[in-house]
Amino acid sequence: MSLTITCPICGQRNGYEFRFGGEERGPRPDEEDLTHEQWCDYVHMRTNIGGIQREWWYHRDGCGSWFTIRRDTLTNLEVEGPEET
Amino acid sequence: MAPRIFSRLTRKKKQRVLQRHSLKGSYDAVIIGGGLHGLATAYFLAKERGMTDVAVIERRYIGFGGSGRNTAIVRANQRTKENLPLYAEGLELWPKLTDELDFNLMFFNCGNLNLAHSEAALGSMRLLVASAQFHGIKSEILDAKQCKEIVPILDISDRLTYPIMGGMYHPPGGTVRHDAVVWGLAQGVTNHGVHIHQGTEVTGINVHKGRVVSVETDKGAISTPLVLNAAGGYSTLISAMVGIQLPIHVLTIQAMVTQPLKPILHHVVSSGGYHCYANQTLKGEIATGAHMDPWPNYTTDVSAHYIKHQAEALTELMPCLKGVKFMRSWAGLADMTPDMAPIIDGNDHIQGYFMDCGWGYFGFKSGAVIGKYMAEFMATGRYPDRLAPFTLRRYEDHRLMGEIANPVNYGPWN
Ligand SMILES: Cc1cc2nc3c(=O)[nH]c(=O)nc-3n(C[C@H](O)[C@H](O)[C@H](O)COP(=O)(O)OP(=O)(O)OC[C@H]3O[C@@H](n4cnc5c(N)ncnc54)[C@H](O)[C@@H]3O)c2cc1C
Ligand SMILES: [Zn+2]
Repeated sequence: MSLTITCPICGQRNGYEFRFGGEERGPRPDEEDLTHEQWCDYVHMRTNIGGIQREWWYHRDGCGSWFTIRRDTLTNLEVEGPEET
Repeated sequence: MAPRIFSRLTRKKKQRVLQRHSLKGSYDAVIIGGGLHGLATAYFLAKERGMTDVAVIERRYIGFGGSGRNTAIVRANQRTKENLPLYAEGLELWPKLTDELDFNLMFFNCGNLNLAHSEAALGSMRLLVASAQFHGIKSEILDAKQCKEIVPILDISDRLTYPIMGGMYHPPGGTVRHDAVVWGLAQGVTNHGVHIHQGTEVTGINVHKGRVVSVETDKGAISTPLVLNAAGGYSTLISAMVGIQLPIHVLTIQAMVTQPLKPILHHVVSSGGYHCYANQTLKGEIATGAHMDPWPNYTTDVSAHYIKHQAEALTELMPCLKGVKFMRSWAGLADMTPDMAPIIDGNDHIQGYFMDCGWGYFGFKSGAVIGKYMAEFMATGRYPDRLAPFTLRRYEDHRLMGEIANPVNYGPWN
């Protein structure tokens, strides 16, 4: 199934117009007292979930926005609706 | 008469290659994943370490993962001193394994030709060639004319979007039949008494006081002190069961074959510039692979995007392929690390938990040799020198491996 992605400005577009920007891993950690493990965690480690995740995309061949969507990695489809808590 | 011979043959009692066993409540070691890495480890555990009370647990069927989906390319012209000797040993293992397993693995050492389309690519190839030669591995630089001499169907004119400026030729590489390796090893481990449980899914790993004690499956629990995560594209899901995060993201990688042609391509040809590699199988098909969709994806769906991309790239490099039809395409999962090198580790954080993953799109060629060292590691508890550089801790030590810094290697042509 080909991926489509909804850009907040341009709407739903072909996934190949976008660049993947990584899974959402929270804010960049504070550099003060930062341990090697924490930095490694932020830079390299991945949850690589089999399921729904919030993730970053960049509309490279479009308006140039950075934004997040939710996508199911098991179906490769964008998921609509608010996050379950 | 033919029909009679046929019926006589079919009347002979059929012998299953894989015997079915019932799942025992305990094993000396449990291997998660019936791919090449899992099967090879089981084989060498049994054969060289005398450990035969071993179970290989496979969720679907052996070879379901990358091991049955890859484009079968083997080579030993990587970049770093940690990788080169390991892959060279792996290359030498195929003929030995063919003998040992008494199973034709169809090793075809036709040589690999990697094309350069820029001065920068040629420069990096010079470094690769020098590194390979330093380790006694055959590899050399060719100019465009020499490339054309060994692969006459290449277009070395300046009509190409990115003309061919030369290449790196690695004679000892080639292809090995991937299903044959899976089946040969499966038969080998079965002959040594190892159990292969297909259609059985690992659902959890239990750790007590820092040691592995058992593995949960959908067919029941197994107590065991040793577990290997050899789940390929699914390895982070297994790792999550013991709370270890990995720097791995899984991407879908596609491959396809054309209709069979008479022999026209006698080497593996790859091009980083075109993100394309191809070889002609012994059946005559041109087997070709492409780049990956660069977002995490557990599906094995194919897309028109890559069929078009492959057709464009192949017909630029080898114009005589114009009009040839693609027959099949398929996809598999690539478990990618940030430095294009695997994670092979064990007995760290958790005693008895081992991992052999992060093989991305290049883990077929190394499967057998890693199995040998992994078996040594699991049986003796000592981390073999050959494997130690691939520790998970290299990421927190900021000692990433130099395979990614290899400009001709920025695309997935094996
Ligand atoms: C299209 C494509 C082309 C490639 N081309 C090449 C190439 O030319 N050269 C090369 O060297 N490499 C290539 N590769 C990479 C290579 O195929 C892989 O790196 C290699 O097969 C990995 O082997 P493995 O044994 O580690 O994993 P796999 O073969 O993926 O096996 C893992 C197994 O684990 C099983 N599993 C997963 N979860 C569970 C669970 N919970 N319980 C039980 N079992 C589970 C899966 O079903 C699977 O069978 C390619 C890969 C692809 C997809
Ligand atoms: Zn946009």
